[in-house]
Amino acid sequence: MKKIKAFISRVWKSIFRHGWPDNPLDRALVMTSNLFLHLHPVKVNRKSLRATYSFGLGVISIIVFGVLSVTGILLMFYYTPTVERAYQYILILETQVPFGQLLRNLHRWSAHLMVIVVVLHMVRVFYTGAYKPPRQFNWVVGVFLLLLTLGASFTGYLLPWDQLAYWAITVGTSVAGYEPLMGETIRTTLLGGPEVGQEALTRFYALHIMVIPAIILLLTSIHIWRVRKDGGLAVQETDKEGETDD
Amino acid sequence: MTNQSPTQRPESFSETARKTKTYSLVELVKGPTTMVDRGPDETIFAFPIVAILELLLTLGVIAVLLLMSILVNAPLEEIANPTVTTDPAKAPWYFMGLQEMLEHGHPTLMAILMPGLMVLFILAIPYIDNSRKGAGVWFTSQRGKRITLYTTIYAVVIMPLYIYFDSTFPLREILRGQLPDFVLQAVLPALLMGIIVVLPLLVLMRINPTPREFIMTLFTLLFVSAVVFTLTGFLFRGPGFELYWPWNMPGDYSPWDNL
Repeated sequence: MKKIKAFISRVWKSIFRHGWPDNPLDRALVMTSNLFLHLHPVKVNRKSLRATYSFGLGVISIIVFGVLSVTGILLMFYYTPTVERAYQYILILETQVPFGQLLRNLHRWSAHLMVIVVVLHMVRVFYTGAYKPPRQFNWVVGVFLLLLTLGASFTGYLLPWDQLAYWAITVGTSVAGYEPLMGETIRTTLLGGPEVGQEALTRFYALHIMVIPAIILLLTSIHIWRVRKDGGLAVQETDKEGETDD
Repeated sequence: MTNQSPTQRPESFSETARKTKTYSLVELVKGPTTMVDRGPDETIFAFPIVAILELLLTLGVIAVLLLMSILVNAPLEEIANPTVTTDPAKAPWYFMGLQEMLEHGHPTLMAILMPGLMVLFILAIPYIDNSRKGAGVWFTSQRGKRITLYTTIYAVVIMPLYIYFDSTFPLREILRGQLPDFVLQAVLPALLMGIIVVLPLLVLMRINPTPREFIMTLFTLLFVSAVVFTLTGFLFRGPGFELYWPWNMPGDYSPWDNL
């Protein structure tokens, strides 16, 4: 019995390299020795946890991105990006796959929510002045993450291949054609042809499930890493003047 | 410890160091040290409070999404048919601001130049306002709060008015033939937009704004206008891309079906 206990303890300690976090040392170690918790600093400012300061919008975007990833992968199991079959697969998903409709609903509403939350996150960061030095470049990374979020949502919009999708993408991509020099080239590159068709569906699918999520993942990592390196969320300096101007 | 008299006390480390070590000035480095001039430490251990908060937030977000997904189905129309155009044909809702702008001027101005300028402006914000003052405070100051409020009211009033009058009495159509097309479609709308943006800035200049206040006015104008244009395009545009009240759309068209 004792040997089994020692064995379990050995396995446990090979995974978690800290003791029970009820003391300062282990509370620090629990953060620094765990990949996911290491995204956070060991200690955070009390003010940065105030709900009415950040509204948790950055965290919510990541949560919604997680929901989108999980539901998106499940949707891929039931979908083929071909003009002949894409729509049929959506119908099968909605009528025959257990919880298929729910799955699609979750993915759709999460996508809309993510656009809203990411925009609100930017607005929050702006009005709290959280882009100020040393966080200037992280603001730039964030703007690109917003554009990528729009791109992810837009490319996904075509995939059900119904009238709504088809004409929304036709209207949306025609805007690119108004760029006087490169516009038409950009549009045909995006669509793989002069009109929305099989080539567009193939390209949008690849962009939607692979290219854009991969870039979002990379930029989000940089984004969070920089937040951490800059000392967490921007909060008011504790001295009353708050003057650290250089 | 207690029976040691002061004279017997062994020499402390610092005393030894003072006697044996010499110091010289190597270099002066400018810049604040981490804790100099800061107030008392207001930090707490992130574990477990942050982990718990994030877990609760995750559960809450998933609960809301599940509820929404149980109550409302994602829209699905007929299979795509390139020969039958839907009326109206709308882009996804977050691009409806852009599509709405297309109604008010030359496409290159409205769909390329203006959005391009807006993105560039947003990217440039931290490089225009590069002071550290007021970071971490909503609206920076009471004055900032008022500036944001007044700018919001201004944009909420003037932008719908602009959209309404430009759609009902389009100067560009009334003056057609009297002025070159380029002037009507590009110069005139750009001028009007320019005036709408510059007016509040002129008022702001009278109170000697900081770069932060200047940029807050511009950002508020941009954000509120984007919301107004997006809502107009998404909710108030019906068949023929005409303006209607969202609850009074002709036929069986409902703007919400476009989600």
